[in-house]
Amino acid sequence: MKITTRKMLDRSFSSFGLFSIVLMILALLVILVPIFKRGSTAIVFNGTVEHRRFLLERFERGDEQEMASEITAIQAAQKPVYDMIEHFENRQRKYLDALNEPLTKLAKRSDSIGRLTKRRLKRLDKNKPFLTNVKTIQKLTDRLKGHVDSDNIQAEIEQLDATIQKIETQTKNLVELKEAIRELLGPAPGETRPVLLRKQYGQTRWDRAQVKLHEVLYIEKWDYSNEGMGRKVFEPRVEHFRGTEIEPLFDYMETNTEAMLRPQLTFYWGFLTDKSMDIHIFGGIFPELLGTVYLTLGAILFAVPMGVIAAIYFSEYARPGIIISFLRICISTLAGVPSIVFGMFGLAFLLNGCHLPKGVLAGSLTLALVILPTIIRSAEEAIRAVPRTYREAALSLGASRWRTVVTVVIPAALPGILTGTVISMGRAAGETAPIIFTAAASVAATLSLNPLQVWDQPTQALSWNIYNLCTEHEAANEIQHVLFGMTATIILVVLFLNLFAIILRARISKKLKGETT
Amino acid sequence: MSVTVLKKTSILNTPSDNLVLSSRANLAQNILAWIGQSFLFLVTATAAMIVLFIIFYIAKNAIPFFQIQGLTEFFTSAEWYPSGDPPAFGVLAIMLGSTLVTLGAIVVTVPLGVAAAVCLSDILPFSISQTIKPIVEILAAIPSVAYGFFALVIFAPLLQEEGGRLLMVGWYLLAVPFLFIITIVISEMLTFKITHESSRKTARTAALFVLGGSFIALLIFVGNTLGNLTITTGTNALNVSIILGIMALPTVVSVSQDALQAVGRELRDASYALGATRAETLIKVIMPAASGGIFIAVLLGIMRALGETMVVWMASGNAAQIPSPWFNYLQPVRTLTATIAGDMGEADQVTGSSRYHVLFAMGLILLMFCFLCNLVSEWIVSRQRKKLRGEN
Repeated sequence: MKITTRKMLDRSFSSFGLFSIVLMILALLVILVPIFKRGSTAIVFNGTVEHRRFLLERFERGDEQEMASEITAIQAAQKPVYDMIEHFENRQRKYLDALNEPLTKLAKRSDSIGRLTKRRLKRLDKNKPFLTNVKTIQKLTDRLKGHVDSDNIQAEIEQLDATIQKIETQTKNLVELKEAIRELLGPAPGETRPVLLRKQYGQTRWDRAQVKLHEVLYIEKWDYSNEGMGRKVFEPRVEHFRGTEIEPLFDYMETNTEAMLRPQLTFYWGFLTDKSMDIHIFGGIFPELLGTVYLTLGAILFAVPMGVIAAIYFSEYARPGIIISFLRICISTLAGVPSIVFGMFGLAFLLNGCHLPKGVLAGSLTLALVILPTIIRSAEEAIRAVPRTYREAALSLGASRWRTVVTVVIPAALPGILTGTVISMGRAAGETAPIIFTAAASVAATLSLNPLQVWDQPTQALSWNIYNLCTEHEAANEIQHVLFGMTATIILVVLFLNLFAIILRARISKKLKGETT
Repeated sequence: MSVTVLKKTSILNTPSDNLVLSSRANLAQNILAWIGQSFLFLVTATAAMIVLFIIFYIAKNAIPFFQIQGLTEFFTSAEWYPSGDPPAFGVLAIMLGSTLVTLGAIVVTVPLGVAAAVCLSDILPFSISQTIKPIVEILAAIPSVAYGFFALVIFAPLLQEEGGRLLMVGWYLLAVPFLFIITIVISEMLTFKITHESSRKTARTAALFVLGGSFIALLIFVGNTLGNLTITTGTNALNVSIILGIMALPTVVSVSQDALQAVGRELRDASYALGATRAETLIKVIMPAASGGIFIAVLLGIMRALGETMVVWMASGNAAQIPSPWFNYLQPVRTLTATIAGDMGEADQVTGSSRYHVLFAMGLILLMFCFLCNLVSEWIVSRQRKKLRGEN
């Protein structure tokens, strides 16, 4: 080959290596940046007055007087909206009342039409919901159309039918509109308090409020005129209310949303310390965080003593031989067992075999098995890194082997052991598969802060709930910020643990370098 | 600690003949030491034996399934209706799903990982590769559920809407430089034998044009085909393969980097002294010498991808069907791990049914495969150790 070609091959080889490294860094950024960016909106966001009202009512945080003045302000801003709706409703009622006269006239007839009408009219009741009365009349006109025999009555009934149809569509449109407005602003004044928590408050976040405002202004429809794929189209809702009292409502809402919801920049640290309410539509992720902490600490509690003892044995006592290499193969096999198999084992052995309850203890034990090989390996490395001279010095002072290990080798290796432990903590905090069957519950009571009471309680955990919420939550779109916030939190927890380990390791290597020179 | 310090000082203060232990005390100390040592051994053995117990327990729970249902259906049928009546427990499609996803991950991760390892160990200066190392560690530390979240919430919609164009860009990015180099190298190889200087040059130019033209045609054809691809669902085997590939990268990079660095300086120096370029040295000398370690890296990558649960459960689409054609990566698949995770919740209540035990049979397959991979890598390590010892 020519020398230039060889050079070119050499360069392209190098650049492929560089390319793969750049790609790796890029992959990291592509994954982390959006998660952190959108995750931060769980804590820092434009909170509306509804958010503050929620905090005050549910967590008793905030200033009551300030809240009261804010509520008067937003009620003043919202008043025109509800007034317009009320006017419209009154008008609809009048339309319905106007139907009374022709209907009673029909009821006076002695034929089947008269009887039918009479029976139906009895069902009308002012106390019933408006739409029910409308439906009653609508059914009547439907039935009457079948009974018509003479032409002059037919025209009358058809007119009746057309009017009631119009009232019905208008009322239905109004119900939809009111529902959309309630989702944006919360329940209307005077309305009975809904049972469901999510219906008691309007939008707590300005970004969600804008989505909801769009839903107030436009109706989402699917256009199937194009063969195959449907296309989303938005139809202005105002078209339904042209020429009515409600027509100016849409312009008013669009221009006055800010006055009605009063968004302001909020730092919601409660995201990390509040419990969640109404499956994460409100509140924070404290139960998940606490569950993860318990599971992780539990796993460390079981795995570290065992792992460190095994590491001491391997590094200080074991003589090479068949048994030792067999044990080593066993441990490296344990490191290669898929995490879901640990979960199965935990279910079959701890839960179904030993009859432990599904809870923190079973989950911690299973996680301990997952991190055991890592701890053994890192502790062994740390112990082996202790210079020989330490041991020799201790032994020459007459210390027994055991005492040498306990008083000299382990203290010297402690930072290294700690590094391994911290890294395993990160691993345990992030694992999901081992705890699915042994500890995780999508909805559970928040764990108590007393560790002795929690061992038999199933718990939420960050890792499990991320899965659970983004695949099974009924309103996953509404809680995107919670999902991203949770994912960012779990990544940050793990990264902080790793960072801590890296710093520890750097300090150890500095120390070792300082001592050898 | 304080107790031992006190004891030490007391020893120093006593007369010297007290330092000599009586034979009884000596015996007691020896027995104590022996007991302590056996305690240590016991704990260690327990820690190590756990894996055997796991294998035993999974197997114990898997065997009832084979007793009830036999082996044939499990391995040869693609019908997976565990809750049907009668239930069907054919795992072929699910195993194919696992295989597809793992293969895809390996295709993504091995070239990139090995190239990155080579770059880190031999090409970049030490200080830079030291700063890149934490990035690899961060990539390894991110929890799998976060990868799964990314795959499901961010990557899947992207793939569904822009998938064809993304693939096209990826294809051009990779294929253009690769085909360019291939063209030059092949045309040189073809004309290598021609001795006459000027005729060789013309022949080479001709070869360049012919090859280049056909490669450009191929490039554009494949690029257009990919660009016009419509992807019906973003949660498919391709998505999962790419994400699993990224997840397995750190393992592959760090293990193969260790393997490359374990190859001595002398081999590199010798190769450079013979006039080889860096690429030639690495490809023809260092990588063959480190092939065992790189193979272990690949094995570990396979194990990581095959054993991963959350990503595949969230983003593979979970359809227990054989894609048509069977290698179609754009269709949803279902893997062993995801099936275990997803079906265990429903099967748990009826402990003792085949529906429960079939999951353990799947777990046993996973476990056996990982066990096998592990044995192979152990064998490679021990063989290499022997070789090194022999050389020394």
